[in-house]
Amino acid sequence: MSLQMIINGLSLGGVYAIIAVGYALIYNILKFSNFSHSGILVATAYIGYFIASKLHTNFWVTLLLTALIGGVLAVIVEFIGFRRLRVKNVNTMLYFVSSITVSMLLENLITVLFSTSYYSYPAFFKTTSFNVGGIMFVTTDILMLLISCVALTILQFVLKKTRIGVAIRALSTDAKTTSLMGINVTSIVIATFFVSGMLGGISGMFLGINYTLYPKLGGMITKGFISSIIGGLGNITGAVMGAFILGLLEVFLINIDFIGSSFTPVVTFVIMIIFLLIRPQGIAGSIAKEKV
Amino acid sequence: MGFYSSILIGICITLIGVLSIYIITGMTGMFSLGQASFMAVGAYVSGIMAKQYGLPFPVAAVIGVCIGAIVGLIVGFPTTRLRKDYVALVTFAFGEAIIAILNNLTATGGAMGLSGIPKRTTLPLALLSVAIITFFVWNLKKSRFGRQCLAMKEDQLAARSMGINVDRIKLTSFVIASAITSYAGVLYAFNTTYVDPTIFTWNTSAEWIIILIFGGMNSLTGALVSGVFLGSLPEILRSASEYRIIIYCVIVLFIINFNPQGVFGHYEFSLKRFPSDVKKLFAKIKNGKGPKREVENE
Amino acid sequence: MQRKNLTMFRNFVNINLVKLTIINRINKRSGGKLKKILALIMSATLVMSLAGCSGKAKGTTTPAPAAGEIIIGGLQDLSGGSSVSGVAMDRGAQMAVKEINDKGGINGKKIKYISYDTKGTPQEGLNAYTRLVDQDKAVAVVGPPISNIGLALTETAAQKKVPIVGAFIDSRVTKKEDGKPQDYMFLVQPTNQQSGTIQAGYLVDELGLKKVALFYDKTNAFGVSQVEAFKAYVLASGGEIVEEQVFKSGDVDFKTQLNKIKESGAEAIFAPNYPKDNTLYCTQLNQLGMSNIVTMGGLEFAPPFLTTLPDPTLVDNVYFALNVAFDDPKLADLNQSYLDTYTEAKSVDDISVKVYLGYDAIRLIAEAIKNTTGNITGEAVKAGLEGIEGFDALPGKIGFSPESHQPIGLTMVMYKISKGVNEKIGPYVPEVLK
Repeated sequence: MSLQMIINGLSLGGVYAIIAVGYALIYNILKFSNFSHSGILVATAYIGYFIASKLHTNFWVTLLLTALIGGVLAVIVEFIGFRRLRVKNVNTMLYFVSSITVSMLLENLITVLFSTSYYSYPAFFKTTSFNVGGIMFVTTDILMLLISCVALTILQFVLKKTRIGVAIRALSTDAKTTSLMGINVTSIVIATFFVSGMLGGISGMFLGINYTLYPKLGGMITKGFISSIIGGLGNITGAVMGAFILGLLEVFLINIDFIGSSFTPVVTFVIMIIFLLIRPQGIAGSIAKEKV
Repeated sequence: MGFYSSILIGICITLIGVLSIYIITGMTGMFSLGQASFMAVGAYVSGIMAKQYGLPFPVAAVIGVCIGAIVGLIVGFPTTRLRKDYVALVTFAFGEAIIAILNNLTATGGAMGLSGIPKRTTLPLALLSVAIITFFVWNLKKSRFGRQCLAMKEDQLAARSMGINVDRIKLTSFVIASAITSYAGVLYAFNTTYVDPTIFTWNTSAEWIIILIFGGMNSLTGALVSGVFLGSLPEILRSASEYRIIIYCVIVLFIINFNPQGVFGHYEFSLKRFPSDVKKLFAKIKNGKGPKREVENE
Repeated sequence: MQRKNLTMFRNFVNINLVKLTIINRINKRSGGKLKKILALIMSATLVMSLAGCSGKAKGTTTPAPAAGEIIIGGLQDLSGGSSVSGVAMDRGAQMAVKEINDKGGINGKKIKYISYDTKGTPQEGLNAYTRLVDQDKAVAVVGPPISNIGLALTETAAQKKVPIVGAFIDSRVTKKEDGKPQDYMFLVQPTNQQSGTIQAGYLVDELGLKKVALFYDKTNAFGVSQVEAFKAYVLASGGEIVEEQVFKSGDVDFKTQLNKIKESGAEAIFAPNYPKDNTLYCTQLNQLGMSNIVTMGGLEFAPPFLTTLPDPTLVDNVYFALNVAFDDPKLADLNQSYLDTYTEAKSVDDISVKVYLGYDAIRLIAEAIKNTTGNITGEAVKAGLEGIEGFDALPGKIGFSPESHQPIGLTMVMYKISKGVNEKIGPYVPEVLK
């Protein structure tokens, strides 16, 4: 596999990584697959587009605004979809159903407001790609990779060194004990959703830039949770590793003529089953107690 | 075939799908996001049997359902041994894999799908199917198998310690559900005479799950009623066609938020109790109005 | 009759039982303002469904259409994944109806156009079609530009005997596999096979490019159906398919596949994909430095394609075939009235080709009805459609082939995009299709 393929794979992985982390954060604390993240991806992608095209802001300002709006949106989603469920302590399945409904709602709101036609972000940079030693680098891909790394490093710092990070990690281990320790669980949940939303906003905007804007863009969430499975559900570092592996895997599989792009889901399925049977904790995870 | 029978057949097919989800999710507590792919198996197999090999409808249908059950066995075997949370993801991946395979097989027409399937689904057949399957599931729930499933749903560890063979029960209900979903696929194929892979995505499975949860995960009656209600909602809201799904989502979110047990909770329809149930409902509504007024006066 | 009322009643009772339960529960749990707002919303939806139900009740007892009115139905995807095309075709049809009615209708009778949303799914298409035929008593229906609905309706249309005139390019919709036509289906644009052949013909015969690569969405019948005919023509003319790469819908990164095409030394690429995928295709093609390779496609490259790219100039060396020429004087009046009626369209570039197809579909139906003597029924319209020869449709003179109900006599107009600018080349039809 050539160096170009590896670079492509890593760039793809960078995109998936941010999505995966946004997803994994919520899985960590609330122990369910948050499909509403796909709604956040789409909504922030569109909002970013309108900010950029109507207000003519530059790349960094748009990114910041989109991230903030993503965070706020996620908090609203938490309130609509999950607050009451958590208070009533219901079956985990209901969170999942609620998250799917919210994502359907967001996706259809976008469709109603903007029709199913697609849009393209205005070009932020003059040079879209550049050549280094015969290998093609795409500007937005590289930028996305760098920003992902930065965002994830900041996240790790927050999780390990700040009080709120410790609280989040405590919550992910055991919700009841955490509240017994005097921590306001609700505000931690809101904070986590805000962060997840910010990451969603960043990834949404990048998805919109790199890959045109259309209502089904939220489908990228599936890459997020496949990465999480490979890397270990709920484990943030695992999600990142899983994302890069997935990116490389996809490029590799497409390269093989026999498989090509269309058979990739079959191979992915087989790999997923193998992982779940042999090493369910994923690459980086440790077995968490099953929620019985 | 009038306009209403067309809609009703569609609702019946959805109901059969919801019933299969009831077995998997409502009775056994597993969560299958790829159920629609069994519908694909049933639809394609029976369609090919009827079209390519000229087999009569009943034979093709039976073959479709059998193959569906076999595939359910193959998929279910590794899947049901997994942890609850993983079952959803694996069934999802399986669904995607099936669609990928269908898109690539020339025998099934690939992305262009299978057309020219003879039209055999009639309204009486659809209604009869729903009735029979409902009867079957009803009895399943009341039977020993059903109670074992419910026990397992509540607490797997306790069920195991009571000597219930958890893995086997999970696999059995998965296979039964797959067979039922395949049958829904057969009806679908012989109704629209054309199938292609895009119809059988995980969105359909998710919709069925939503319908089930809306009606109440534990209630068979709830599943049926909400299937009819949510299934006919698009027709009723035709005037608001753009906002249709938004209204649908809002209604579902309301129920989930305010009554997570679903509209029907644990309620099961029973002819004996129906009159007294209705009386209780109206009494609750009347009483509900009383206290409200007092609070406002304070 | 009884069944309908029973279902309606059942639905009515269900919805309202649900609403009452919800309202009751809201009353008990939440307090103050929130409760009031929620109760208000619930009551509003209750009233709305009541109104809807009663409206529907009125609908079931609608008397037969007023004498002197011709009912033509429309089945379009107005809210689903392909709604952009569906809405366009619907609008085209509406404009044709208005134009005909303004001139006095057909033989003095006005047309009433009723269109229903199919949401892009075959089941809904079936429901809508049976509603149009059984309830609204339509004598003809304008069909969608997507084939899955067409395919699902072939048998029902033959049963109900109301013809559907649509733009579904899959040839199976209009022609059965044993070579006979699907009786009640008619197509107003070239089929997928004709389209693939035309595009291949131009590439191999006119441009003389023999080494061709294919790049298409394997999960999308639109592209897949054209590829077969395209491949067949290239190989029959002594060309060579040097590479065939696919992607699946939802994929956004094509660089791996495009790289392989680059390495295969292809001189041209056939890319019959939806506009959204082709914007990514063009961008990535440019990123990989492959813009010197010719790309061939169809109406997906037509306006407003270029406006959706942040930098249109990177689209180069693209040829595409279109049903009509946008500067055709025949279109001028239609374009103007479209821009006047639908103000969100700012220029001719925003008008989709589907508008013209819908417009033509209605006009063809009207022509068929005009020539009908006696009662206007679905069968009569079908016979009328079959008898049309050399009708002056927007793309040219067309008739329907008796063997397949597919249009004969259609040419397509070739265009080239050079560095972001559309250049018209001219009408083209390969020898085989003449």
